[in-house]
Amino acid sequence: MIDKNRPILETRSLGKRFSIGSRFSAEGKRIVHAVDNVSLTVWRGETVGLVGESGCGKSTLARCLVRLYDISDGELLFEGNDITSKSLSELRPLRRRLQMVFQDPSASLNPRRRVGDLVAEPLRIHDRLSSSEITKRVAELFDLVGLLPDHVMRFPHEFSGGQRQRVGIARAIALNPDLVVLDEPVSALDVSVQAQIVNLLADLQEKLNLTYIFIAHDLSVVRQVSTRIAVMYLGSIVEEGPAEDVFAAPAHPYSQALISAVPVVETTPGGTRKRIILTGDVPSPLNPPTGCRFHPRCPIAVERCRSERPQLREYRPGRKVACHFPTM
Amino acid sequence: MILSVRDLRVAFRTNDGLVRAIDGVSFDLEESEILGVVGESGSGKTVSLLAVMGLITDPNATIEGSIRYKGRELVGLPARELRRLRGNEIAMIFQDPMTALTPVYTIGWQIAEQIRAHRSISKSKAMERVEELLAEVNFPNPHEAMSRYPHQLSGGMRQRAVIAMALSCNPALLVADEPTTALDVTVQAGILDLVRKLRATHKSAVVFITHDMGVVSELADRVMVMYAGRVVERGSRAELFSDPRHPYTRALLGSIPPLTGEKPRRLPAIPGSPPSLLRLPQGCAFGPRCPVHYEPCEAGKPDLGSGTHAAACFRVAQA
Repeated sequence: MIDKNRPILETRSLGKRFSIGSRFSAEGKRIVHAVDNVSLTVWRGETVGLVGESGCGKSTLARCLVRLYDISDGELLFEGNDITSKSLSELRPLRRRLQMVFQDPSASLNPRRRVGDLVAEPLRIHDRLSSSEITKRVAELFDLVGLLPDHVMRFPHEFSGGQRQRVGIARAIALNPDLVVLDEPVSALDVSVQAQIVNLLADLQEKLNLTYIFIAHDLSVVRQVSTRIAVMYLGSIVEEGPAEDVFAAPAHPYSQALISAVPVVETTPGGTRKRIILTGDVPSPLNPPTGCRFHPRCPIAVERCRSERPQLREYRPGRKVACHFPTM
Repeated sequence: MILSVRDLRVAFRTNDGLVRAIDGVSFDLEESEILGVVGESGSGKTVSLLAVMGLITDPNATIEGSIRYKGRELVGLPARELRRLRGNEIAMIFQDPMTALTPVYTIGWQIAEQIRAHRSISKSKAMERVEELLAEVNFPNPHEAMSRYPHQLSGGMRQRAVIAMALSCNPALLVADEPTTALDVTVQAGILDLVRKLRATHKSAVVFITHDMGVVSELADRVMVMYAGRVVERGSRAELFSDPRHPYTRALLGSIPPLTGEKPRRLPAIPGSPPSLLRLPQGCAFGPRCPVHYEPCEAGKPDLGSGTHAAACFRVAQA
């Protein structure tokens, strides 16, 4: 159930800067704006999909949202409370409600520990449970994510990629979180296994009333799981709206190019879609273009785009676009 | 006929037992034809192409069967003779361009080296040719790009440089192993366009390996679907996508979420995961995951049979 009265997470002009190089390097110390002025509201019960090319800042934003990174600018609110600069000990009670699933389950699971132990770890840290209660809860979690009870004694390498990701998910939901940030959770999996995990995530969302922030570079997967999507380009959101609407009629020229570039299986001959091929590469965030950051690659850019940066504005209820000339 | 592979078998001896990576694969390739090879990890799509390239040098590997390039048998050909073909008449593009480029020389130097290894022309002539090639693969400023080192280029540009290198000797056969998997969709679209254009101008035959059904349907003339070391279905693009016959092909196509239209509430997923090649199930390898599995599937491995559109499945043979 999506509850539009209760935002669970909110960012206000959130920014993340990294400084790279040192004062001894040839270029001196430089600042990268990896995430720049992002204002996003996530409602309880929904799935917000973040899409964009590599380097657009979607993973950095995800890590800021769970405070794995310190936030450089703006504010981050969890259920209306400002958690932008809370200390680690103050964050601790919140951690159990804000969880994350990573792309590569083999990199996020300790190879030398049994998976039952790995899933029990968050319970040991956050809850004062007896060992029999922990065993019971781990068995429940294994059942929930579709693993067999006797799998608890196995090591991560004894599982296939899909099963390992199930372990990663079991760990993330062990403490009954409210919000789960999923950073490319199916990208490392075989095509035939991806659909299983996508379905599992949908089932868990329904059963446990979870809110998801879902990052993936596979746009058809993002459309499938998301209720709303945000398209990012060079650290900022350029378009935001209900997933099906944005995919059916993208308003920002970048979203249009991105969606048109996805190769799809055409069964009807001659039904080839019109494709917009972008010229040039994503500019470096170290030295972003003036005005609209997309203008050097934009097929419809005019003089105004070079000088004036468009703000993310609501053109229609629920549809926001950062473009001077949106298609809508 | 550019390439004709018959009953190719590649096996590796490992500490855990014999791994039959390729178990009887046959296919043909005509001039300027694009063959798409689809499969998941472990399906044998990469190993079969490495065998064609003569790049399996593992002493624990055994290669059986026949690989004929323009009628000439490649299996058992001495390394010297193979080297004359590779990079010259047969070229390969890999998934990660950095594995094909050395970081310590400029792009121009590396492509020129490749040309001079196969043709006796002067350095300056080779450099002129490099500039032409870089222009052909859509480098905005080819002359300047020649003096760049790989780390100064983006992923898409590196892959273009590798493609330029592969094309430098006008290969009759181009083998591409997941060349766009590491790239963003926007960059991928450009590379796919390029491959189509090059097929038209150079008349090269292309074998394109990918796990992405969408990519195959946009690029390939004919398609071969692999599972656990065997070809489970082959056909023209139109045949395969409008009338998929093998349960695996059908299930794979069904499990891709649609990009337009109504969203299904749940995706039709394939249960289980691809089998380990060390412990293949009895009979048909897809059997344990197959929705239309019945007794004969456990008794023996179904043959692909002949015909342009064929599926290795007892149910299909029965129908």
